[in-house]
Amino acid sequence: MNTSRKIMLGFLFIILGMGIANPAFAAGATVSGKVSFEGAAPSREKIKMAADPVCLGAHKDPVLSEDLVVNNGALQNVVVYMKDGLSGKTFPAPTTPVVIDQAGCQYHPHVFGIQVGQPLEIRNSDATLHNINAQPKLNKRFNIAQPTKGMKTTKTFDKVEIPVPFKCNVHPWMAAHAVVLDHPFFGVTGENGSFTLNGLPAGTYTVEAWHEKLGTQTAQVTVADGETKTVNFSFKAK
Amino acid sequence: MCLSSSIRWVIGLGIVGFLGSPTPAFSDADLAAGKDAYEANCARCHGPTGAGDGPDAKRMFPKPRKLAEGIFKFRTTASGTPPTDEDLFRTLSTGLPGSRMPDFQRLSEETRRNLIAYVKSLSPIFKDQAPEPIDLGKDPGPKEASLAKGKEVYAQLGCASCHGTAGRGNGPSAPTLVDSWGSPIRAANLTQGWNYRAGSGVKEIVARMMAGIDGTPMPSYADALSSKEDAWHLAYYVHSLQETPHWNRTIEAVKAAGSLPADPEDPKWQEAPRTDLRLSSTVYQQGEIQPTSVNAIGVQAVYNEDAVLFRLTWQDPNESREDPPDAVRLFLLQDRRLKFQVGSLRSWPAGPDAPALDVCSWSAKQDSAREAEQMLESNDSEITSGAASSSRSQDSYADGVWTLLIKRPLKSFHPGGVTLSTKKPFLFGAVVFDGGNGERDRRRANSNWVDLVLK
Repeated sequence: MNTSRKIMLGFLFIILGMGIANPAFAAGATVSGKVSFEGAAPSREKIKMAADPVCLGAHKDPVLSEDLVVNNGALQNVVVYMKDGLSGKTFPAPTTPVVIDQAGCQYHPHVFGIQVGQPLEIRNSDATLHNINAQPKLNKRFNIAQPTKGMKTTKTFDKVEIPVPFKCNVHPWMAAHAVVLDHPFFGVTGENGSFTLNGLPAGTYTVEAWHEKLGTQTAQVTVADGETKTVNFSFKAK
Repeated sequence: MCLSSSIRWVIGLGIVGFLGSPTPAFSDADLAAGKDAYEANCARCHGPTGAGDGPDAKRMFPKPRKLAEGIFKFRTTASGTPPTDEDLFRTLSTGLPGSRMPDFQRLSEETRRNLIAYVKSLSPIFKDQAPEPIDLGKDPGPKEASLAKGKEVYAQLGCASCHGTAGRGNGPSAPTLVDSWGSPIRAANLTQGWNYRAGSGVKEIVARMMAGIDGTPMPSYADALSSKEDAWHLAYYVHSLQETPHWNRTIEAVKAAGSLPADPEDPKWQEAPRTDLRLSSTVYQQGEIQPTSVNAIGVQAVYNEDAVLFRLTWQDPNESREDPPDAVRLFLLQDRRLKFQVGSLRSWPAGPDAPALDVCSWSAKQDSAREAEQMLESNDSEITSGAASSSRSQDSYADGVWTLLIKRPLKSFHPGGVTLSTKKPFLFGAVVFDGGNGERDRRRANSNWVDLVLK
């Protein structure tokens, strides 16, 4: 075994060690799968940004709406999370913030999961005014201005809520959605529609998939420690 | 100093009361009294449970607040937190100009305090969250405040996105604004101090800016300002944008020395006093009010031996020349007494028995005097009770303001039309259509009848 391998192995042990210390990263069980969209994918609308030259100037190509994105049958921007099965367990809020950036007059990411008490860092990377109008029903609402490029504001949510909508009134096409949970077992589907929830305690769960336009679907799954199970979801046009 | 002991006692009690409980806790008795007062005074608009669904609610724009939802516009507290008792007391006691919320000065202060206790019981927000008052900083006073700095801050903060460069509520984002319930909402026209909902003073402007106006697109700038001084500079600047309205019940037409003014910028207009007329609308569709957007029109008039020339200015957030176009009609009545026969301009065109009205029409669709006259014909064919007067017009639109000249001969061209003279007052009325707001036919903003006097 050469030195570099020894070092690598050392790192591996350190990572495993961290995993044991933190229940969220225990070897645990894994639930993964894919979210698909049945039927013909609707065409995405072109967003008209002409009202603000800063927005218009930020894009070479037309910007398409993000509220229903399907790639070869895979459904993007679905938040998949454990809905039931974790009661009695508590998970400390990470101190690492979730970052939502306003760039090119779009929210990045468009949908995201966040834990109760976890900081949400809201950034403005545009040289134009954005207002971040968060309209939760259970959590504290806020509507704050970020008029300058580089501005950052940190907010937290103190209650589980699905979803918390965000909008910008200055740029009415801008919308984002947060799913606020009291545990770290959530993921958001990317272009290929897949998600992975790992480090789960063994148990029986209700998994829920949430999409901003198509609503929710749930599935039951039982996993043993170290086991990986597949749960797939399929949404239809409403 | 020689105060009687009882007066000393009263003053002492006042101070103790003030220091001891600036926001007194309310007893059950207060709540019960508040509930009675609510049902008598508030429920017809705000609804019996505070759901904003009282029997009169649909007939209003802006809509009555859904008190039960706990989203309050006029606060001195952080965005998303409830208002203070004093914030609510202020709204209740001074009303909200530009909305149908009256001031409730006719109720005793005690009743108003009881009402606040009851209103707070309608929404859980007052139990779940404490108000977080915002430090508004210190008023530097008008001498220390810098309008130039305020103007800079106005640009930095992007105020113009909604409120427009000159503050006329015509910024690029203004047409798409919606409130938290998805209903269209207008950016405040900052030049109309008389129409600011919760006060047009510098301190109130600072409060709106720092706290935001919850439930509307107006965000809190508390974290966006580099200093509290900037907020005050900005507020003084915004305050300086307010134009003093010239409300009057009489339009005085002045006699031109020589020819009539050649165009809207002719210095002769400086001699003609301006009268501002409030405009309002009461058009309903399925019981729901169809809001109109132009809320005032300024009128000046100059005449000579042949004709009277009206100079009209009004604020309209967008220039609409087509489908439907922006438009104005001026009405004249020969005799003041006819007012009672004709009734309100809101009901025009009235039934077939009503006296014919003498009308001057202008539409933004016309682009030459020749076409204007043709338009006049076609417009007036729609008016069953109207009689047209020949008129020529000049119009211009710049940054939210229409300026229009309408010329009308003193003598009527039509039987039953009005012939103007210096002998007596005539009646004058105006209706304004904002084409960009879909206004046509009965959906329009109407003035009351006022006197027109040729001096």
